[in-house]
Amino acid sequence: MIRLNNIFVKFGRFEALHDINVHVKEGEFFTFLGPSGCGKTTTLRTITGFTTPSSGSVLMKGKDITNVPVEKRNIGIVFQSYALFPTMTVYDNIAFGLKIQKLGKNEIDSRVHDIASKVDLSNEQLAKAVNQLSGGQQQRVAIARALVTNPAIICLDEPLSNLDAKLRVQLRNELKKMQHDFGITTIYVTHDQEEALTLSDRIAVFNEGRIEQIGTPNEIYNNSATQFVANFIGDINQLMPGITDGLFAEPLDPNKNHFIRLERIRVTTQAPILRGEGHEVAGGFPSQPSFEGVIESKEYYGLYIKYYVKVPGQTLKVIEKNDGVKIYEPGERVRIVINPADIMSY
Amino acid sequence: MESKTFDAGRAVKIFGFVLFAYLFLGFMVMPCLNTLTSIFRTRNAAGEIEPLAVIKFFLAGTMPLFVWNSLKLAVCLVITVNIVGISIVLLTEYFDIKGANLLRAGYMTTLIYSGVALVTGYQFLYDSNGMITTWLSEIFPLMNKQWFSGFNAVLFTMTFACTSNHALFLRNAIRSIDYNTVEAARNLGASPFKVLFKVVMPTLLPTLFSLTVMIFITGLCAMSAPTLLGYNSINPEIVRLAGSSAADESFPQARAALLSVILAAFTIILLSVLNHYERKGHYLSVSKTKAKLVKQKIQNKAWNIIAHAYAYILFVIYMTPVVMIILFSFQNYPAIRSKMLNFSDWTFVNYFGTQDYEYMTSRGRLRVRPDSISGVFSNSDTVGGIRLSFIMSAIAAALACVIVVVAVSYIFKNKKKLRALLTESCLLFPWLLPTILICYSYRIFFNREVWYVFGNNLYWRENVRFLIIMAYTVTKLPFALRMIKAAFYAIDDELEEAAKNLGASPVYTFFKVKLPIILPSVLAVFALNFNALFTEYDMSATFQSSYGKTYAMIIQNMTMEEGREGYNINASGRRCASTVFIMIVSGIILYLVYGLGSRDLGERLESRIKWRRRFARLVGKK
Repeated sequence: MIRLNNIFVKFGRFEALHDINVHVKEGEFFTFLGPSGCGKTTTLRTITGFTTPSSGSVLMKGKDITNVPVEKRNIGIVFQSYALFPTMTVYDNIAFGLKIQKLGKNEIDSRVHDIASKVDLSNEQLAKAVNQLSGGQQQRVAIARALVTNPAIICLDEPLSNLDAKLRVQLRNELKKMQHDFGITTIYVTHDQEEALTLSDRIAVFNEGRIEQIGTPNEIYNNSATQFVANFIGDINQLMPGITDGLFAEPLDPNKNHFIRLERIRVTTQAPILRGEGHEVAGGFPSQPSFEGVIESKEYYGLYIKYYVKVPGQTLKVIEKNDGVKIYEPGERVRIVINPADIMSY
Repeated sequence: MESKTFDAGRAVKIFGFVLFAYLFLGFMVMPCLNTLTSIFRTRNAAGEIEPLAVIKFFLAGTMPLFVWNSLKLAVCLVITVNIVGISIVLLTEYFDIKGANLLRAGYMTTLIYSGVALVTGYQFLYDSNGMITTWLSEIFPLMNKQWFSGFNAVLFTMTFACTSNHALFLRNAIRSIDYNTVEAARNLGASPFKVLFKVVMPTLLPTLFSLTVMIFITGLCAMSAPTLLGYNSINPEIVRLAGSSAADESFPQARAALLSVILAAFTIILLSVLNHYERKGHYLSVSKTKAKLVKQKIQNKAWNIIAHAYAYILFVIYMTPVVMIILFSFQNYPAIRSKMLNFSDWTFVNYFGTQDYEYMTSRGRLRVRPDSISGVFSNSDTVGGIRLSFIMSAIAAALACVIVVVAVSYIFKNKKKLRALLTESCLLFPWLLPTILICYSYRIFFNREVWYVFGNNLYWRENVRFLIIMAYTVTKLPFALRMIKAAFYAIDDELEEAAKNLGASPVYTFFKVKLPIILPSVLAVFALNFNALFTEYDMSATFQSSYGKTYAMIIQNMTMEEGREGYNINASGRRCASTVFIMIVSGIILYLVYGLGSRDLGERLESRIKWRRRFARLVGKK
């Protein structure tokens, strides 16, 4: 559907994008994820035409659109601030693009009402000023305005970032449902990992103007390609050198950094069983080696409990699902169980 | 080979640049430069050029007196206006004074009643045979009945006339104080007055400093009050010298120019100080959750009574001229002449219609002068003045808005570029110069055939109206720039991008998206500029042309005509009616700007729905 080939963007001496290559497929929900200033919005602006690349090309359905003006690309945009025109009613906001296309009054009216009903905006709301709507309703107007001109792609630039946490989760679900209903190719920009993982078919993780990894949410999370991705997606423990010495059959490469996700570590109090090789095996996890630790503190989240466990050389963060398991108290001695296959090394 | 196509956008840009440069150089730089250089082009008795002649004259003669008088007025005004201004804001916004809303309305009357109208109104009440002076002298027989003249009168009048900015800006500043800071100070043991001086006042200091500088400049550049009440300050002297000739006195034009430049120098220094101070930043509240200020009750009974008495005395001072002017505008000329209200005889003749004037000659014969008494809207001179002021003010206010909107649009498109900075500096340039310098420079420079205005003499006959419009426009540019630029900042860049993404051209985006957003601010600037220009006196008085007799000059003429027997017999009545008319016009404009104009689309739609419902109910009932 859309393809970025070797895109470089420079602002003066500053290189904002370095050799970006992305292929977004038809009907896909594709997310650009990364911290502030990593180049994700610049990439989006290159696709929409607000930024011209220093080199490289943008192809849409195989056609080079690198130098096609913004208004001729047929790409809908939902801005971070929604950019709704404050001096127009909801109806006029949605009809804006259609009026520019010089469509007939009846056609405009029918298309505005059609899209409004699809995004769940009532006739009464259409007559209102945009500042009379809630945050969620405003988002729907912005989406309706972007979709009413039948764009080939819709780009959403952090549309949930100005909302409170509860509304963000609610609108995230609505957004996914809408994308599914419309079946439109969607490019979504966010710095929120949770948003990216829950919404996307595929994710591109950006860092300092480069793409670190492209993959499905599961690939990105469980098989992070780089240390940056591993660190950026979710919480993670970096294992200090020597902590697993003598623990595994194959020792960890001392020239690499090793990481493990919080939920991949298990905690138990059952006594270890000594195996032939002299390694301890914790009770309940017969094939996995373990070592001793002390609960330093705990955070109760309801759905899960987060422990800070002091082990020789460092403190490990561990998440235990709160499904009736024993809840440990600070000071309690526990055994830490690690599966070597869960360790990511870079 | 590249085909040569006509680039309309580029042509418009070049035309705009040339026009802007023409206006700036032709109507700003050239006339003012001429004034500046005229100081050094004076000729001595032998007809030789003596560059320092006027400066020597200045140092040796009485000219420093005018500068001293202006400085004295400015310094005294800073003290009195701040005392009155701060106290009216504290009394209505900080302390719990009974009837604060009524008091606030009274104190804010100077917003609709200012300039010549206010000065002549005060004169009507306080001069030697004024109603209040007569009443006071009956209570205090030893009182000097001439107290309302010269410096005293100017200071008294301007003190109350100049508190409008306190009423607007200091009120906003005090309302933005976080009440939690007051509560914290009280909790730590501070008395209410300690809180006032240690917590509240320091946060008001930046606003007070700006106001003080502006008052100082106002005092220095005072025109209508010194002219009408007789005080020898710089501006009236400049106007007098501008109308004088070398046959009557030594190089009057160069002396006027020197005084204008001195005034400009003071203004530039003061504005630089203000600018420097403003750049240092203001005390901003660091509170995340600001609490609304709660009015402080004055616990000490005696102080509470004194504060209430002071508040209501000020209220009486503010309201008396307004009420009296309104009442007298419905009185006939005998009542107005004797300055005694006649409650049994009310008339509209000061507003509409004409009346014969009957009088007895010294030989005892009854004479009738037909239609000698005429109302504001039936007197051709007054109607002419209103019409001229209305047209010139409307054109100038609109021109200033158009120029600034186009310029600011250009400035925003070229942010952080030298050309944007240059454009902005050109528009702010008139701010550095006193209006009197600009008008004086126009009057002198264009009082001859000037090549770049197609060889016309712009001071000649009706041409002066164009000159006045240009002066009005130029002097209003800095204010318009500051306000409209602030409005442009409110436009989110993403709105422009959204419009572009939806296919809108830059021109379509400007008219359909940007202009509607800034329109309330542009209309507010138009209205406020129109309001100020409609009753403007200083500039038209500097031009002193019978072809440019503005409404304010007509009002001033009425004051001069009042004393003459049989001539414009009801000039005072018409003047009172004129003042009431100005109050109505100003009131309507302020309501449109701050009342209706400040509503957003949502509020307007809600109001429309309410009106529809009311209308439907009315129709339904019938």
